[in-house]
Formats: sequence, structure tokens, C-alpha cells
Amino acid sequence: MTLVSLAAKNVLRNKFRAVLTVMGVAVAVLTFMMLRTIISAWTSGADYAAKDRVVTRNKITFVMPLPKRYVDQVKATPHVKTVTYSNWFGGKDPKHDREFFAAFAVDHTTYFLVYDDMDVPKDQMDVFQHDPQGAIVGDLLAKKMGWKVGDKVTLTSGIFAREGDWEFHIDGIYTSKSKAIDRSSFMFRWDYLANDPNVQRRQQGQDANVGWIVSRVDNPKASADVSVALDKAFADQEIQTESQDEHAFNASFLASFSAVLSAIDIISVVILAIMALILGNTIAMGVRERTNEYGVLRAIGFTGGHLAGFVLGESALLAGVGGAVGIAIAYPFINLGMGKWLEENMGNFFPNFSVEPNVTTSAIIASLVLGVGAAAIPAYRASTLKVVDALRRVA
Amino acid sequence: MTEETIPAGADADKKKTEAKTEEKSEEKSEAKAKADEKKADEKSGDAPYRARPEQPLISLKGVSKSYERGGETLKVLQNLDLDIAKGSFEALMGPSGSGKSTLLNLLAGLDKPTSGTIEIAGKRLEQLGDSALARWRADTVGFIFQSYNLLPVLTAVENVELPLLLTKVASSDRRKRAQTALRVVGLEDRMSHYPRQLSGGQEQRVAIARAIVNDPALIVADEPTGDLDRQAADDILDLLEKLNKELGKTIIMVTHDPAAAERATVQLRLDKGALR
Repeated sequence: MTLVSLAAKNVLRNKFRAVLTVMGVAVAVLTFMMLRTIISAWTSGADYAAKDRVVTRNKITFVMPLPKRYVDQVKATPHVKTVTYSNWFGGKDPKHDREFFAAFAVDHTTYFLVYDDMDVPKDQMDVFQHDPQGAIVGDLLAKKMGWKVGDKVTLTSGIFAREGDWEFHIDGIYTSKSKAIDRSSFMFRWDYLANDPNVQRRQQGQDANVGWIVSRVDNPKASADVSVALDKAFADQEIQTESQDEHAFNASFLASFSAVLSAIDIISVVILAIMALILGNTIAMGVRERTNEYGVLRAIGFTGGHLAGFVLGESALLAGVGGAVGIAIAYPFINLGMGKWLEENMGNFFPNFSVEPNVTTSAIIASLVLGVGAAAIPAYRASTLKVVDALRRVA
Repeated sequence: MTEETIPAGADADKKKTEAKTEEKSEEKSEAKAKADEKKADEKSGDAPYRARPEQPLISLKGVSKSYERGGETLKVLQNLDLDIAKGSFEALMGPSGSGKSTLLNLLAGLDKPTSGTIEIAGKRLEQLGDSALARWRADTVGFIFQSYNLLPVLTAVENVELPLLLTKVASSDRRKRAQTALRVVGLEDRMSHYPRQLSGGQEQRVAIARAIVNDPALIVADEPTGDLDRQAADDILDLLEKLNKELGKTIIMVTHDPAAAERATVQLRLDKGALR
């Protein structure tokens, strides 16, 4: 027997209570990790965004378009290698009315050069390049909707109405290893949209519009300079632009959700605080019940420091085991269960919903720190017990 | 349960009988104590109740202890002088509230006097800090409590091993010493039993083994037979006598039981905080 095994035996003195406490800590840690993962998954688009892609949009708001002729001007800007453009389509599958996914009209010749982190098999890409009604969809979207290559898909658009529905051919399915890429998007050829009589009628013979322009620069460090140069070039034209690298663009998009993210952040901390209070209460109860035994230990020569060590060790052990159980549950629950579901169903918000190593590290540190912190007051009380008073206390 | 809520009837009658027996016994032992006191006075003219040992293990001089309770000062022990020889077995008796437990706590280094000096085995206890006093207790004192006070999560041998955790004795030797101590108290066949699996007498034997495992200079026992039946109490007293006579342990025992007190070589009587 050692001092450590003596402390460990005390933890298991009331097995039912110990199990409940461990489970309470585990649930708190699991919830903490879930909330932290929501934040990290939500912001991962910005965190992992390519810094060599510059997004140019209408200065007023990104829902207002830009003239297509701007594309050539962007192309002529120093450091710009490749330029592409796209429009938000607002598409829905009438057969799956409630399923939301991002649908874009993209320039088929350049889009996948700028977004070269989207992997499309070459044979599928060849078909897409020659099919005016071709579409490339993300693997998660294809799985969710039950689409496969060669399928014909009909979508409706809340923005671009036409007589009859929009028909597309699923020519390819893209995948991606990049955490910034949403694998639930639907991309079809921009010329299919632009050549539609209804759309052309709406343009009334004016230059076509694009939703935004994305350019790939030759050096990520040049992104800021290119952004400034582009906005300066369009400053005296009828529509001004705002250009940012993809990281900044995504971050500014996320900023509009900052209140929600802050709320989740606060809730995750509150949950840990509740865990600490529950653990502190359990430990305090144990100390109160064992006052007489602490008196005996003090009488036979254990110091106040020994008792404080026992109490803190007991709490840290409960919190540590609870934390480990919580983390062990969190990985399969978040990565394989909830995360997969969110990636498939809310891929626009959570393109990559899995536990990040820093979330796990925070959970481990938080459980141990709060475990020790929760026992601080009971440990102090145990260490300062008067031996004579403690011995008088009936167990 | 408070004393007021103890049910009337058989229990109350039993209590009365016990009280009478105790009164009679106390009268008897009081008479014996007076006789002892007389003998002691005859041997040494200036000692209040008995002769001063030549080489006392314990020496109390002018010890007083008082507590603050509700703004009032409660004097429990008053100007006590006491010497206890090494190897003696002393019974400390007296009515409730006479200060027996307070004196025992002071002798065991669990509490400090309000004034006066306590010297035990060459150490002035009132001068030691809390941690130093804890170390001194670990080295010098073995405790036996009325309610045994074994840790329920530990087996008999682990309970006995407990004080050795504070020493530099190696882990394997600790276990051997604990087993030896249990053999001394006749519990070699109960080493792996938990306290709940032992009778009261056996639990007290384990407590005695725990008290002697460190080979302390002093054993303090607070009503060690108070929770036991007569047979078990006699067994425990036999054991204490053996520890005193065969192993030379100095034992101070608080008791209300005159039969237990008679086993001691010296009976001390406390009344209203003073030795009589």
C-alpha cells in the first residue's frame, strides 16, 4: 500500500457515487467538446482558407452582382494567375424540398483551376467540359440526395425563374482533402445560366452579371496588394468592389455570426463551471462524512498537507477519469455520428465537423484544472481540521 | 440519537443497573486510589498524590487548559503537575467532564496546553508546530480509540500498515511488520478481512496492532473497552497488560470501567480538572 493507493481506495469507497460523478464529468466534457467543435468547425472555413485566392465582390453587399467585364480587368492585374467567377443560383431539388445546399453557376473553363483543391476525376471533368447542362456535385451532397454520375437532375431556382425547371446532368462528383472545401455544393456551367432566354431578357441587352470574381495570385504574400490594387482600379467605376483574400473574406462572413459563436463559447465555459460545482459538492460531502477518519489519520501522524493531497488527488482522479471517458465518447460520437450527419446535412456551415486536437487538449486541461480547483475549498478545510474536534465527530 | 431519545423500559433499566455498577466500581476504585495516594504520600512528602519517578517518560508542569465557549472561558485542566515513568501502565479515571480526554489529548500531542509545559521523551510538545507535532505523534505515540476507528476501505493488514506509510520503511518491510503486529494481537488469520467482517473485539485488536506497529514509546488508549462486552474487554485488557509487561510499553488509558482500571499499575483520578 502507498499514499497514492490509499487515496485511490477512498475514491471507490462509494462506488455508486463515484460512477455518477465520473459520468457527470464525462457528460460535461463531452458537451464542452461538442460546443468547442461547433465553433472550430464553423470557423474552419476561414482557418483553412487558401490565402492565395482573392475574392472580389460588390462593395455594397455580396448579394449584389458585378459586371462580367470586370473579370478581364482582374485578369490583367499584376500577380494574378487565373481568374474565375460564379453566381449564386439558389437551387432546390423539388423532390427534396427541405434539403438546403449551395448551388453555383461557375465558369467551367477556370473554376476548377482556381479551386484546384477540389478533386474531380479527369474523365468526369472531360464530360463536364463538353456538356452545356453538365454539373459537378460534392460527394456528400451526392450521397445525401442519392445522385450518381450520369443522373439527370431537375432544380428550381429562387433567383433565376424560367419556363420549366432547370435540368442538369451529373457529370462528375468532386471530393476534397481540404478542410476549407464544402463537399455539399452543386456547380454547373455559368454559360447554361447566361444563355437562358429568360435570364438574357432580364439583362435587357446589358453586360452580363457575375456574383463574385475569384482570382488566384502567384504568391500568397501578394494577396493584400492585389486586393488593394483591384479595389483601386474599380474605385472610379459605376460599381465599386471590395477584395479580400479568401481567409479574410470567410472571416468577415463569420463575423456576422459572432454573437452566436460568443454565446456558444460562453455556454461551453458555463458547462465546465457547473461540472466543477457538482464535483466540488461531491468532494465536500465526502470530506464531511470522513471527518472522523481524517481525525484518526491526523492523530497517527498524517499532516494537514497529506489530507489536502488526498482530497485534491481524489478530485483530480474523478475529474481525470470522467474527462477521459468524456473524450473517449466524444471521438466516435462527434467524428462518426453527429459530425458525419452535420457534414452531410449542413455542409455549408460545417464542411469538416470533427474534434480538433486543440479541443481535446483544452478538455484534458480543463478537467484536471477544474478537478483540482473544485476540491480546493474541501481540501483546505480537511487540512485545517482540528484533530481533537475531528475525532469527536461521529462518522 | 441524543440521550433524551433513548427509549424507556428495558434499555433504561439496563442503563440504571450499569450506572449503579459503575458507581459501586468507582467507589471501590476511588478507595483504592486514595490508598495508593496515601502510599505515595508516605513515600514522598511534597508530591501531591504519588512519588516522582526517577526518569519520567512524561513530565507535565503547571499545565492548564481552557476553552472559549460562547464568550466564556471554560477551565478544563488547572495547574496540573504529573510525571509518568517509562514502562508504566496508568489508568486515568474520573467523572464525565473531569478533563480526562483533554489530558489524554495533551499527552498524545493532539492538543496544546493553554499554559504550562509538557515534556515527553525529551520533547517539549507545546513548542512544536503543527507539522512537527504530527511527525512526533507518528514516531512516538500509538493510539487506541473506543470506536476502534479503522478505515473501512482498508483490510486489517492495510489498516495496521497505515502509520508505516509515514516512515522510511520499505514497502515490502511495511507489510511484514504489519503482519507481525497482527500476529502479536492474535489475528494472523484475519489479515485480509475488512473491518466490517470483524467483531468489535477483533477490530480493537487490529487497532492495537496499528498502535504498536511503529514501536512507539507511548500508547494512549481512550476507553479501549468501552464498546466491548466483558469477555472481549478482558481479552483486550490482557493484551494491553502483555504489551506493558512483556514489551515494556508505556500505556495511558482513559476508562470508566473499574475492572479495566484495576489492570493498570497506577490509577489516576481527575476531578474538576485537577488530579486527586
